[in-house]
Amino acid sequence: MSWLSNIKEGRSRPSLPLSVFGRAAPGAGSPVVLAFLMMPGIIVVAAFFLIPLALVVMRVADGPDGWATYFVILTNGWYFASLVQTLLMSAGVTLTALILCSICGLFLVRNQFAGRSMLTALLTLPLSFPGTVVGFMVIMLAGRQGVIGSVSDAIFGEKLVFAYEISGLFIGYLYFSIPRVILAVMASAEKLDPQLEEAARSLGAPTWRVVKDVILPGLMPGLISSGAICFATAMGAFGTAFTLATDIDVLPMVIYTEFTRNANVAVAAALSIALGAMTWVVLFVVRCFVGNSTDVAPRGGA
Amino acid sequence: MTTQIKLRDCAKTFADGTRALAPFDLTIEGGETIVLLGPSGCGKTTILRMIAGLEFPDKGGVITFDGDDVTHQSIEKRRVGMVFQSYALFPNMTVAQNVAYGLKVHGVSRDESDARVKAMLEMMHIEMLADRAIDQLSGGQRQRVALARAIAVQPRVLLLDEPLTALDAKLRVRLRTEINALLRKLGITAVYVTHDQEEAMALGDRIVVMQKGEIAQIGTPRDIYRKPQNPFVADFVGAANRLDGQMRDGRLHIGNHVFDAVDAFDPRHGAIIDQGPVELFFRADGLSTCDAQDADFTGRVEAVSYLGERLRLTVSGIGPQSVMVDTHADDVIAAGADVHCQINPDRLTIFPAMRERTPAASDAR
Ligand SMILES: Nc1ncnc2c1ncn2[C@@H]1O[C@H](COP(=O)(O)OP(=O)(O)OP(=O)(O)O)[C@@H](O)[C@H]1O
Ligand SMILES: [Mg+2]
Repeated sequence: MSWLSNIKEGRSRPSLPLSVFGRAAPGAGSPVVLAFLMMPGIIVVAAFFLIPLALVVMRVADGPDGWATYFVILTNGWYFASLVQTLLMSAGVTLTALILCSICGLFLVRNQFAGRSMLTALLTLPLSFPGTVVGFMVIMLAGRQGVIGSVSDAIFGEKLVFAYEISGLFIGYLYFSIPRVILAVMASAEKLDPQLEEAARSLGAPTWRVVKDVILPGLMPGLISSGAICFATAMGAFGTAFTLATDIDVLPMVIYTEFTRNANVAVAAALSIALGAMTWVVLFVVRCFVGNSTDVAPRGGA
Repeated sequence: MTTQIKLRDCAKTFADGTRALAPFDLTIEGGETIVLLGPSGCGKTTILRMIAGLEFPDKGGVITFDGDDVTHQSIEKRRVGMVFQSYALFPNMTVAQNVAYGLKVHGVSRDESDARVKAMLEMMHIEMLADRAIDQLSGGQRQRVALARAIAVQPRVLLLDEPLTALDAKLRVRLRTEINALLRKLGITAVYVTHDQEEAMALGDRIVVMQKGEIAQIGTPRDIYRKPQNPFVADFVGAANRLDGQMRDGRLHIGNHVFDAVDAFDPRHGAIIDQGPVELFFRADGLSTCDAQDADFTGRVEAVSYLGERLRLTVSGIGPQSVMVDTHADDVIAAGADVHCQINPDRLTIFPAMRERTPAASDAR
């Protein structure tokens, strides 16, 4: 029964004790040492994050409505609409960016052609632009004096202006997100094992199946992390929206208005907490859901 | 139900201009296990990928499965099972899901698929691993899963590219025996790539020895071992000892010694070598140690290695390079001693001398 002994030899992964860094790092010292090394980080987090956060939370109670302010932001049509709008917009931008960048990233990694590195550099160029510059570019493109407006005016006799609408903001956010996502996708795509695809094809899998069963699961960790960053950035983006000075009220703009113009500190604080909490919840849910369904997320906490 | 594979005039030039394979013909009989053997870079994987449909031969090449022209058919349609050195198991699926994948793709019903997967896992002795994740398996277990996955869809041909290279020596031998039994049991046409001569001998009905994109010899393991057709094959399958000699009137002269009755048939020209310079290839059993008065040669021992049942001596001063000679394990011989050797003429493989030795032949080791 030689195979039996072989199976016994076969190691099953021992369950590693989870330490502060997610898994035990041999030689990195005991948990006590690690905890000690983490002290500076903890202090910084406490001083510059937890305390202000607590203050913001407290400020809500100082408002005319007290703790009910949280309730107000849900019942007040304007605040609630801006919450929903921001959420939908960020989700839309994230999904679009992920789809576009998966295709482009795979193409760039899989194909060798003249100008490939130029194209990559071009796609990642906006990485260095702040949101205000991106907003400015959208105005140049689709604003009242924009290129698209002039062209459509010349051809159809009608000026196409959408910089100050939701589609203008959408394009600005997308432009802002693409470089970050595409770099992450390219990094994951380079690590894909071509033999996995060959194995799937040898078993008869047509292209769409290979994409669904091999390529997407392989890209998934990269898509999740870059998608999370993209979503969080879009939720909190201010510069682009501010430059476009739009008719749409995304949440960061509403917070700004309440705080500086209306001096409605309690509502601004409540909206800030809501913005943070919502972003966190969405990311958490997505990570749990996608992580479990594909089983590719690293065990021991993503 | 077994599939005969024919490759006709297949050559391969890659996009960057690399000529990986010169045009060759190869027929693999239904149910036969063919082993492609050769040093790194000689084109073994390229042939395998051509049969699989992952590479296509240059214009003019034709590949048929049982007479059907599959030259331009892509891999999805060819019904080939592939096993890779790196296992290539889907990391996002369990063992059972991996094995079931091909069945799912082919639209096999759930019940039938479950039954087939169970049978496959039992055949590979891994039924208790069905629900494991791939990263919880040892290398040997992974390769069993890969085999089960490849044969679950009942492919027309099984293609294995160095499936055991990543495993340790003992496991390699054990799995090799199991694969051999499996291939006999299934009676499936199989192409097995390796650079390990022992593995090739153990598994192949026939062996294709390759050298730099060309087929150097096709034959049974016995033919390849005993009757290598050229110096490259002789060297590659272990006849690494080499002496220079002269044939004069059908007799072999080595130095001052003359030997009658040698088999000096040159397979490449199909003729007895009667005259001219020759090269002699032989294994360690082509020479044996003896007393001084019977000696053909006397050399100096450079190194001694203990092989268990034998001692292997590295001896200089007999030919242009040092040669290996085996002797009894209990002989007491130390490096630096003189040793007397007798030649064993019917263990010699004789080729007409080439001006230079082909560099590939010496690269091979
Ligand atoms: N995609 C490719 N483009 C260009 N050259 C290639 C490509 N694939 C293989 N080659 C070349 O073709 C030759 C044969 O390669 P192949 O992979 O068939 O060798 P092999 O016999 O399988 O070697 P090994 O034992 O190292 O796996 C090599 O010289 C290799 O560099
Ligand atoms: Mg190879």
